[in-house]
Amino acid sequence: MAAQEDQIHPIVQRRPRIGPRLSQININVWRVLVFFLLLGVWWLMAVVAGQNFLPTPWQTAQAAVAVVKDGSLLTATRDSLLVFIAGFVLSAAFAIPFGLFMGGFRVFGATIEAYVNALSAMPRVAFIPVIIVFLGLGYEAKIFIVFIGAVMPILINTYAGVLNCDGELVEMARSAGGTDMQIFRKIMLPGALPYITAGLRVGASLALINTVVAELYTAVKGLGGLLSIYGNSFRMAQYFVVVCVLAIIGVAVMQTLKLLEHRMDRWRYRGERT
Amino acid sequence: MNDAAAGIVVRNVSKTFRRAKETTGVQALHAVSLDIKPNTFVSLVGPSGCGKTTLLRMLNGLIHPDEGEILVGGVPPVPGPHMGFVFQSFRLMPWRTIRDNVSFTVELSGMDAKERADRADKYLDMVGLRRFADAFPNELSGGMKQRAALARALIAEPRYLLMDEPFASLDAQTREFMQIELMKIWQHHKSIVVFVTHSVDEAVVLSDQIVLLRPRPGEVAEVLDVDLPHPRWDYDVRERHEFVTMRRHLWERIKDMVAADPQSEFYMRGAKTEPIRGAEE
Ligand SMILES: Nc1ncnc2c1ncn2[C@@H]1O[C@H](COP(=O)(O)OP(=O)(O)OP(=O)(O)O)[C@@H](O)[C@H]1O
Ligand SMILES: [Mg+2]
Repeated sequence: MAAQEDQIHPIVQRRPRIGPRLSQININVWRVLVFFLLLGVWWLMAVVAGQNFLPTPWQTAQAAVAVVKDGSLLTATRDSLLVFIAGFVLSAAFAIPFGLFMGGFRVFGATIEAYVNALSAMPRVAFIPVIIVFLGLGYEAKIFIVFIGAVMPILINTYAGVLNCDGELVEMARSAGGTDMQIFRKIMLPGALPYITAGLRVGASLALINTVVAELYTAVKGLGGLLSIYGNSFRMAQYFVVVCVLAIIGVAVMQTLKLLEHRMDRWRYRGERT
Repeated sequence: MNDAAAGIVVRNVSKTFRRAKETTGVQALHAVSLDIKPNTFVSLVGPSGCGKTTLLRMLNGLIHPDEGEILVGGVPPVPGPHMGFVFQSFRLMPWRTIRDNVSFTVELSGMDAKERADRADKYLDMVGLRRFADAFPNELSGGMKQRAALARALIAEPRYLLMDEPFASLDAQTREFMQIELMKIWQHHKSIVVFVTHSVDEAVVLSDQIVLLRPRPGEVAEVLDVDLPHPRWDYDVRERHEFVTMRRHLWERIKDMVAADPQSEFYMRGAKTEPIRGAEE
């Protein structure tokens, strides 16, 4: 019976795809081509602007070899990554449960919401002097600056994700005798996941920005510190090496989060690739 | 539990929906009384807005009557796996596979994972979806999704099955197959089924009893017994004389209600036209 019945529904609905299917090989070819194009534009601009303002890609590469050899780049990268990861992980570890809590307890959420919005609208660089007073110029202060940069978007997204849960699914679970806790865990939480991952991505980019900001404002260390040293002494080739490393870290972080997102949202991406 | 206690009794139930800060609300149901015997298949029919869904939600215990009383098996209803609810929209969780969607009901009541999966496969077999156990809902057609939703309600072997226009979104052919499927399941696994439908045809084919409701406020207009012999998939019910007369009678009454309802968009319209077979579906 099963086989015969299924033949009545040969049409299987899938997510509509816009344009032709992405092939992994093709997209990588395009990415490499654009990379070389960007290098070309950079080189052209360097030639036009003069290398006191903008080093050529080749000069940058030479500088990169030098700073890698003397170890300063690696130490700085390690320092920055430590600050970034610690701050980001702490902000996620705080914001996700807190956002879930706000969504789960409506009265609490509605009360806190106004303050959360006020806080997230405030330019958080304004807090840096205060943070320095309390936490000094070391790692604690830096990690905290990263934390306050990333925490709000994660918190707000998580909260929104819980609030936007599918009321019909909630009713379905309730009609089958689901308790509040079960409904929260099995309906609201999975429903909020796409929001949470979106929040994590925004949070990660803000965390990276704040890592550099923190290193510029507090004890000059890490990649931000190198930026400040090279920038002030007009060593533009070295300066650009640091910029490139920051860009690479940014790409790597985003790609990791995207992978994580695809793993969690398996159903949405079935049959597609990153 | 004796048979009398296992039935459903609705006594003088009224329900009004009010918005905050409004004194007058919409009266969805007014003084509705019903007596549903064990092992009967009851259909609720009536024009849109006559409170069919509201009544079903009250039978499940999701909402409570303002006045009157509902007893399911002798006690006021409490939502739970013993009250299978099939909704008009499929309400599958997009992030779960079909198997995990189907076993959701027994997962809530704490069945362990192994047993759950076996049970889900059994019921997926029953609705002909075994091959799609590992698919996600967005990979299924509408008819398949509705069968998955049916399996999810059946997996807990409910004593009461509440169905809100479950086949409304299916094409005519799939719909007839699903009707037969439902009749067979019901035959093997006797229980009370309360089935809401807009299709008079479907109500007559499936039910032992049809409750016709009148809108604004929702009231019971008529209760009819359907005396066609079971099992009904063995012969063509629609050819039978009783089917034709009952169908015509119900259709006439609904048409009159709609034509007499000033709030209906079909008010005062087309009272004389003969129904085309299946046109009301
Ligand atoms: N949650 C609610 N809040 C406010 N009014 C409601 C609510 N649910 C139902 N109503 C009102 O109660 C009346 C009956 O609604 P109900 O959904 O029970 O009708 P129905 O018979 O199921 O209609 P349909 O056949 O179109 O599904 C309608 O007028 C509707 O507007
Ligand atoms: Mg309805």
